[in-house]
Amino acid sequence: MSLKEQFTVPGRFRTISLSLMAIGIVSLVAGYFLYGTGDEHYQVRFWGTLIHNSVFFLLVVNAAMFFICATTLAMGGWQLAFRRVSEAITVAVIPLGVIALIVLLALVLGHQHHIYHWLTPEGDKILEGKSGFLNPRFYIIWTILTIGGWIILGRKMRLVSAELDNGPVPVEQGRKYVFRSTVWASLFLVWFALTVLSTAPWLWLMSIDAHWYSTMFSWYTFASTFVSGIAVMTLFVIYLKNQGYLELVNREHIHDLGKFMFAFSIFWTYLWFSQFMLIWYANIPEETVYFKPRVEGAFKGLFWFMFVINFLAPLLILMRAGSKRNYTTVTFMAILIIIGHWLDVYQMVFPGLSQDPETGKYHVPLNFFDIGVALGFVGLIMYSTGNALAKRPLYVKNHPFFKETIIHHT
Amino acid sequence: MAVLKYESQTRDPLVDGHKDYHQVTEDIIRPIEANPSRLWWIGFIISVCLLLFGVYSVYREVTYGIGQWNLNKTIGWGWDITNFVWWVGIGHAGTLISAILLLFRQGWRTGVNRAAEAMTIFAVMCAGQFPIFHMGRVWMAFYVLPYPNTRGPLWVNFNSPLLWDVFAISTYFTVSLLFWYSGLLPDLATVRDRAKLKWRKRMYGLLSFGWTGSTKHWQRHESLSLVLAGLSTPLVLSVHTIVSFDFATSVIPGWHTTIFPPYFVAGAVFSGFAMVQTLLLITRKVLGLKDYITLNHIDVMNKVIVLTGSIVGVAYLTELFIAWYGQNGYEWYAFKENRANLFSPYGWSYWLMMGCNVLSPQIFWIKKMRTNITVTFFMSILINIGMWFERFVIIVTSIYRDYLPSSWSTYYAPTIWEVGFYLGTFGLFFTCYFLFSKFFPVIAVAEIKHILKKNGESYKAKMDVIENKPAEKFYEETHAVPH
Repeated sequence: MSLKEQFTVPGRFRTISLSLMAIGIVSLVAGYFLYGTGDEHYQVRFWGTLIHNSVFFLLVVNAAMFFICATTLAMGGWQLAFRRVSEAITVAVIPLGVIALIVLLALVLGHQHHIYHWLTPEGDKILEGKSGFLNPRFYIIWTILTIGGWIILGRKMRLVSAELDNGPVPVEQGRKYVFRSTVWASLFLVWFALTVLSTAPWLWLMSIDAHWYSTMFSWYTFASTFVSGIAVMTLFVIYLKNQGYLELVNREHIHDLGKFMFAFSIFWTYLWFSQFMLIWYANIPEETVYFKPRVEGAFKGLFWFMFVINFLAPLLILMRAGSKRNYTTVTFMAILIIIGHWLDVYQMVFPGLSQDPETGKYHVPLNFFDIGVALGFVGLIMYSTGNALAKRPLYVKNHPFFKETIIHHT
Repeated sequence: MAVLKYESQTRDPLVDGHKDYHQVTEDIIRPIEANPSRLWWIGFIISVCLLLFGVYSVYREVTYGIGQWNLNKTIGWGWDITNFVWWVGIGHAGTLISAILLLFRQGWRTGVNRAAEAMTIFAVMCAGQFPIFHMGRVWMAFYVLPYPNTRGPLWVNFNSPLLWDVFAISTYFTVSLLFWYSGLLPDLATVRDRAKLKWRKRMYGLLSFGWTGSTKHWQRHESLSLVLAGLSTPLVLSVHTIVSFDFATSVIPGWHTTIFPPYFVAGAVFSGFAMVQTLLLITRKVLGLKDYITLNHIDVMNKVIVLTGSIVGVAYLTELFIAWYGQNGYEWYAFKENRANLFSPYGWSYWLMMGCNVLSPQIFWIKKMRTNITVTFFMSILINIGMWFERFVIIVTSIYRDYLPSSWSTYYAPTIWEVGFYLGTFGLFFTCYFLFSKFFPVIAVAEIKHILKKNGESYKAKMDVIENKPAEKFYEETHAVPH
């Protein structure tokens, strides 16, 4: 009984991914002519969608590398059956990182001060005070370093994993291998803490509401994108399983991925509640201004809808052991979670951009353009992951802990 | 099937010294059956003395009032609330180990969970003393309980995080106690079955609730453990979250910051593990349990320490940075002048906190340091001190200079009775721990037996056969019958 180690991208998969990318490009072009060429407020609409989607999907695929590094440091054996799937997803950090970099730099270099008010701080005492951090030079340098660091360290992690394809690893050599991979994993995690868990969300997203601040913001963004990252991994694992690959993965592994989706949905809610409740309770105007349009204004419906599918649905549906072992339920929940957190990041970006300057009223500009661009990113992730999967064996079967995943029992 | 007991040889064993089932029982139960050592007596007597000093200090406070402490109108919370938060924090590791690590299937928890859970319970008991006696008129303490009464408008304030504390901590205490005790049942039955004296047999018979070890008992025991683990996991997070709300719901500079809940939880786990290290390093030496609390265990716990210490570090820097970024003059003053300025009255305590909690644990990135017992012990004490100062910094440096400069209080030092109260809780904590280590098995015998065939040294040595097999063949053999 030999294992199916070579993945070939099915024609249908390739067609779908290419079509989705085509939809994305068409939407982008249409959006550009509808919004991007208009006056400044229309441009805000155009760039807002780009920043929302590029940052969200980049953080999501990068979360898969976080998962790899965290399980490497925790010496987790159970996930090795689908380790190569997680790795393949992280290859998308390269194209998505480049796209996000272009978008973010274009915003700053193109002087989109309706998105980033801090680009023109003159006369605003608070923004002037922040200019030591919120200034184009620091933004550009730090963004390049951030994304570059993820790409380089992520690639190194994949190379360390590729060494396993050379042949069996005896126990003594295995110890050395485990040690070396933990060194690189911890380097990635330190860089992750300095970027995703702190500076990157402040610079890219929080500074859209340039006057507002919350110490929780980056951890909250992390929770949102990490749970989505787990959902993406789950979807690819189930897809491969349905295609007859990954015979080593069984309900036990899916159950554990379901547990991760369940647990981190609750964790997300915990951070969501803590940030919201503390600001609501203290009732300081500088802070509550952020939630005004979100909880009471135009975004109210979206805000609570997002809360329902990100918290209530996982809580009620994934609570039972049986539903975490059911492929259909898990697939459904993974898609729901990705949509929910896509909306979460949407409501981080858009309320700060969609206030009518004359009436002061907010509106929710969600239409085909946002969805089309999002589908384009989905297609790109599918395409990149499919290709990456086809390049390497599907199993890290010489990994020192690999046999543990074969008999894994949750 | 024997093969299901496989674990990679790349991992170090969790039970050293080629033990078999009987030997595990012998090693762990024997200290309970023997007379306590001289060292035990010395420790016990010192603890009781400290406890008595604490009782006297509290007696002074109750009789003469809060004036026995050096609190004043500006610094209304001082050592007492610092000690409260510190003890609650320590009470986190036990339930984290027993609940969250159970859900994560971490085998190493079996060596340390029993003692850590006991520590949790004793720490929460110590913590509870401080807010209760801080009330001043402690005989009115029952006012915190909401029940139909004739006091008219004197009713608990459900909007207050201080009341949430009452619920959070009492729930946590109850569930932790249940978890700990239900885990003890099989082991108490083992002690009962080995007992030679009649009174011992009767006492442990009573304590073990008639445990027979039947399959039915085990099955119920396992499902109860899972249910309690599921209940405790959110509790581990909720308790310190609510303690953080005590501060973060206010509008005091340095207190109102949204990152407080997860950052307090990380800090609590950090300090809890430091205390577990302190206790277990002593326990393994005094009771001769080096084969069960191995260097591997100490290594892993130090990893948790460097992880949580670094999370706390990110949180410290985040709040410092956002205090500046927010451009709120009061917030920035609290951080820049009251804390980060080394030459301000309490600046030293901020840097002591940074040094102990963020910088020093970084040495645990190095494996040599993680597996060095002296270094670990020293570090565990350092972290305990650092985490005490974290709470002191948060409380005192935020309130000693309030919005009205005329009421600034430049210096606050505790009285002997304030210190005495704190020392008294150490007395309570260690008295309980000494009694526990005398009358209960400090390591979960049944759980060690559960992992023995997978993680025991001699069993692991036999796994060569599997280790040398190609993955395909192993898969074929283990999946011969579809399941």
